[in-house]
Amino acid sequence: MQLNSRILLLVFTLSFLLLTSQDLLASGYDQPEDSTSIVTSIEKNHAEEHLPSAFMVIPFIILLAMIATGPLFYHHFWEKNYPIIAIILGLITVIYYLIFLNETHSLLHTAAEYLSFIALLSSLFVASGGILIRIEKKSTPWLNAGILLFGAVIANIIGTTGASMLLIRPFIKINQDRIKPYHIIFFIFLVSNVGGALTPIGDPPLFLGFLRGVEFFWVIKHVWYIWLPTILLIAAVFVLIDSRNVNKDEPSEKFSGKIEFKGMKNVFYLLIIVISVFIDPAVISWVPSLSPLPIGIREIIMFSMVYIAFKTADKNILKANEFDFEPIKEVAYLFIGIFATMIPALQLISHEANVYRESLTPGIFYWATGVLSSFLDNAPTYLNFLSAALGKEGMNVSLPIEVAKFAQDFPIYLSSISVAAVFFGAMTYIGNGPNFMVKSISERSGIKMPSFFGYMIKYSIPVLIPIYILVWLVFYF
Amino acid sequence: MKSIKDVLKEKKTGLYYGNRVLLPFSCHILKLNIENDLITDFSPSHKGVHVSENPDFMEIYFYDYKNLADVISEYEVIKMIVVEKGKDVFHSKNHITLDLRLEDDHIVKIEELGENQIFIE
Repeated sequence: MQLNSRILLLVFTLSFLLLTSQDLLASGYDQPEDSTSIVTSIEKNHAEEHLPSAFMVIPFIILLAMIATGPLFYHHFWEKNYPIIAIILGLITVIYYLIFLNETHSLLHTAAEYLSFIALLSSLFVASGGILIRIEKKSTPWLNAGILLFGAVIANIIGTTGASMLLIRPFIKINQDRIKPYHIIFFIFLVSNVGGALTPIGDPPLFLGFLRGVEFFWVIKHVWYIWLPTILLIAAVFVLIDSRNVNKDEPSEKFSGKIEFKGMKNVFYLLIIVISVFIDPAVISWVPSLSPLPIGIREIIMFSMVYIAFKTADKNILKANEFDFEPIKEVAYLFIGIFATMIPALQLISHEANVYRESLTPGIFYWATGVLSSFLDNAPTYLNFLSAALGKEGMNVSLPIEVAKFAQDFPIYLSSISVAAVFFGAMTYIGNGPNFMVKSISERSGIKMPSFFGYMIKYSIPVLIPIYILVWLVFYF
Repeated sequence: MKSIKDVLKEKKTGLYYGNRVLLPFSCHILKLNIENDLITDFSPSHKGVHVSENPDFMEIYFYDYKNLADVISEYEVIKMIVVEKGKDVFHSKNHITLDLRLEDDHIVKIEELGENQIFIE
């Protein structure tokens, strides 16, 4: 990529983020009069005293900007230094809360949430890395669409990361005689993103919502009728494009029609991981709480699965999958920084949303969550807008009871945020964790993938934006 | 110098030191993958990689990596599509896909790409 383009993108990203933070700064000190009562005003002033300084959003902005630009524009520097960058930025926030606000509750709560989050992701990642699927069938548009739809469904059981890890190699393999970048890009659309919109295991933002108090089956109940037409529409576009690229020549190898599945014990591990999601004192009353430790039985089971799944995995499968801990190590380090630095952002956004509550509609939440989820990681974006939506109703995202009540009383808001965070993660390579992983596996398989802007201009904008506009018009307008 | 076929048959190994790989054969490299880098430009003007040929071996330098052992983990490989010296480059049947696995004591294990692995031309 040309230097000018890089500078332009950096300037654009930083300007946008600075504008956002200036708005926070301005509104944080210039509150409109609350006409309801003097008591509310006093309560509000009291709450403001406990608000972090708006300047404390800066580490979060820097980290997100670096996550967005690092792998694309200075990737060798980024690969080497991201752990230390994430930890330093996170420490700034931790020290601020400990010394200046003398507040430990938010930090402990965030630590517990981080451990749950990383336990789920790492266990799904390692367990699915020990499974090998081989499909010996001739590639056809309908078979491809079938694999993509199957991936979209299982993404809700083993996560978009797990489903992507499991299916990307067989998908490339069966298409090897006629593979084009669009195959991979539609895989990213359906399996790595949109597919996982039905359960908290599906996509990290929804798991964060679950940890905050959204009931496990809430998403499937309120989102399936949006999810289904969306994935069918995207699959239909894929079939249309793929039908024009059918190879009429003899394939390079004969196909036996077999589907081979190796690593059955890892499926058992995946099952344990999925079941363990429910082993939570808040879900099952007899499950002991290990409080004040920031870890529970669920996380212990999940971390044990990471160890057992890796140690007992078939080495030939790991070799065939070119298994590497680097992607999950990257998520683990970056999310230390993200979870810590987003604490002040969450509190400030929640406060601001409460101030501007009248003007915030489900449509605004849909587009705002969507646009930011496209360029920033969708997990923190989801949490920020969930915090804003709760703040709009005077509720607190840190209280599971209030989150559950919000989900029950204002489902359209939560639905718009959940759908947008998951769907729009497919808009860019950086919108969701598995996108980059799939891109990386594809490049390691010899496929030249489009650039950051090529992906958007050629694929995500023309294919996804019209579909997302339809979703907005039908469900959130 | 040994042919690629002989090297594969005799299970000969190569060597690596830092960012340098030494292979006991000479060949035309068409495409190479290391980590997330897909390299097809082996001209002297390309700053990421340099191929040097010697009477008995060839060397590949990866300038973007200080120490290959630090970035290529146990189950990862360097993949390349090559053609034996003297063979017709334009005939796809002469294209061989190799994987280079880094092992202990600076050893590079050279194998033809396994049936479960993929490297598309």
